[in-house]
Amino acid sequence: MNRRKLLSLLGMSPALLADSRATAQQKPGNKAATPDAGQGKITAVNPKGTPPPIQLIPMAPRLDTLEGKTVYLVDTGFHGSDMLLHQVEAWFGRNMPSVTVVFRRKAGPYAEDDPKLWKEIKEKGNAVIMAVGH
Amino acid sequence: MGIPTAPLVTIAFKDLAKSNAAKRGMPLERICFTPHPVWGKSEAQMYEYLEGKDPVSGKPLMKEVVDALTSPLTADESKSGTTTPSVGPPTYVDTADNLQQYFLDNGMTDYLPIIIPTQEKVDAMLKGTSHSPDEVLGKMSPAKGAFPEWSYTVKHAAINAVMAGATPDYFPTLLAIASTGISALFSSTNSLVSAAVINGPVRDKLNMNYGIGAMGPFNQANSSIGRAWTIMSRNFCDGGVCGQTYMGSQGNVVNFSNLIIPENEKDSPWTPFHVQRGFKKEESVVSFFMGFGISQGQGGKGLGMKPVPHFHEAISWNTTPFANMYGALVLVDPLVANGLGDLGYKTKEDLADWLQKNTLVNINDIKTMLFSGPPRGQQIPDGTMIPRFARADMFNFVVVGGQTNPYHQIANMRYQLSVSIDKWT
Repeated sequence: MNRRKLLSLLGMSPALLADSRATAQQKPGNKAATPDAGQGKITAVNPKGTPPPIQLIPMAPRLDTLEGKTVYLVDTGFHGSDMLLHQVEAWFGRNMPSVTVVFRRKAGPYAEDDPKLWKEIKEKGNAVIMAVGH
Repeated sequence: MGIPTAPLVTIAFKDLAKSNAAKRGMPLERICFTPHPVWGKSEAQMYEYLEGKDPVSGKPLMKEVVDALTSPLTADESKSGTTTPSVGPPTYVDTADNLQQYFLDNGMTDYLPIIIPTQEKVDAMLKGTSHSPDEVLGKMSPAKGAFPEWSYTVKHAAINAVMAGATPDYFPTLLAIASTGISALFSSTNSLVSAAVINGPVRDKLNMNYGIGAMGPFNQANSSIGRAWTIMSRNFCDGGVCGQTYMGSQGNVVNFSNLIIPENEKDSPWTPFHVQRGFKKEESVVSFFMGFGISQGQGGKGLGMKPVPHFHEAISWNTTPFANMYGALVLVDPLVANGLGDLGYKTKEDLADWLQKNTLVNINDIKTMLFSGPPRGQQIPDGTMIPRFARADMFNFVVVGGQTNPYHQIANMRYQLSVSIDKWT
């Protein structure tokens, strides 16, 4: 992934990466003010707070196959997630019947952690499909 | 967790899912997408989604899900380490027009012209507090738990206060607001709104308007404090980025400057809100609410009663569309408050108690409402009328207005917390 795309995912403008004192970039099509317009240059202070460092997390090793494995279907609680996951369950039943499917509703509101469920999955599951509906 | 996982997300949340995965340290997470929405679709339609293609990759969706769990990781997907996101240089040099455009283009404003925050203006703003510019003021996230929290200092608050048109006198109030970490632009599909109720001497010190037009754009302190809260909510946590950190389907006009509500304490027959919350009357305090927004109370059952309109019945009636997960923030003109006093409601608590007992809803309706539900752990027969709100303290009252007519406005919003403004002087 190139740097610009990664920055975009991080919600940042690549223009913000200029060193120390940057000259503001004009958006294409916008009329630029020039010294001829009677405007001198001034210095503005950056209003943005400080994001935390990002710890890159290696993705978990993949399985060779799902055949014969246990897949947890985790509903995060958004509207429609449960119904969607039950259809995923039906899809496995029809297309990969050797897969054992376990449906679970994550405890608590959307953003709340559910360590008990993660522990259960780690002990009994091989993979997770987590649905976010709406 | 160490278990291969495939998130299955509807396409409306593509940018949010990808950007947040990156911010959480997994920029290449294998996210699979369905069409949107799934809510409201039949089982057959959902199954059709699964049999169809991922609208982002164009690949068969369930094959992609299976592949996400089984195809070997790439080197990039296995990377560890730490990266430090940049928010740009500490200063920008250009003409005033170019800087206006730059701040706007880079999501640092409310898309209205700002006061350009020069060091001189920021220094002047910092004179409004005794606190050090480098003091860490708080942490903010577009939605706590869902997005990473950013930190910010007193100086950051001063920069944003300048941008919003605030004066140094207003700065302690803004610091109190920022210190809570409450974003006025909470990331939800529900287009939520925020309110700050201001009590105590600070209202008069800042010449805040709590009379005629109090909640409109008619006062510098009311307006710029509210606006600064929105701008801080953008810059203190990368908030308000539509599709990534803001998902309100329709948005809400209140988000421009929020509900800033200085209570009209002098014309109220009741205890000021901050005193209800345990503060002294002479303390300056800001109290926070959040929820679904505000509606008018000009109409309503009971308002035609004479000689004193039955304001309590109107308030009860006007909660009809409210979800019981939030309460009711009732903003009453002093004429209404005094009328309610004449009707026997000598305290806000008296009124809340009556409203909780008499604002009833059929259990059958509660079951089919969104964001409302029957009381937990209780078996209630069909057709039973039950209180819409579980507790009397879910009704909160603030007196505001200039007594040109006995009106109220009512918001489906819940109380969050109250904090001192004085400690930030």
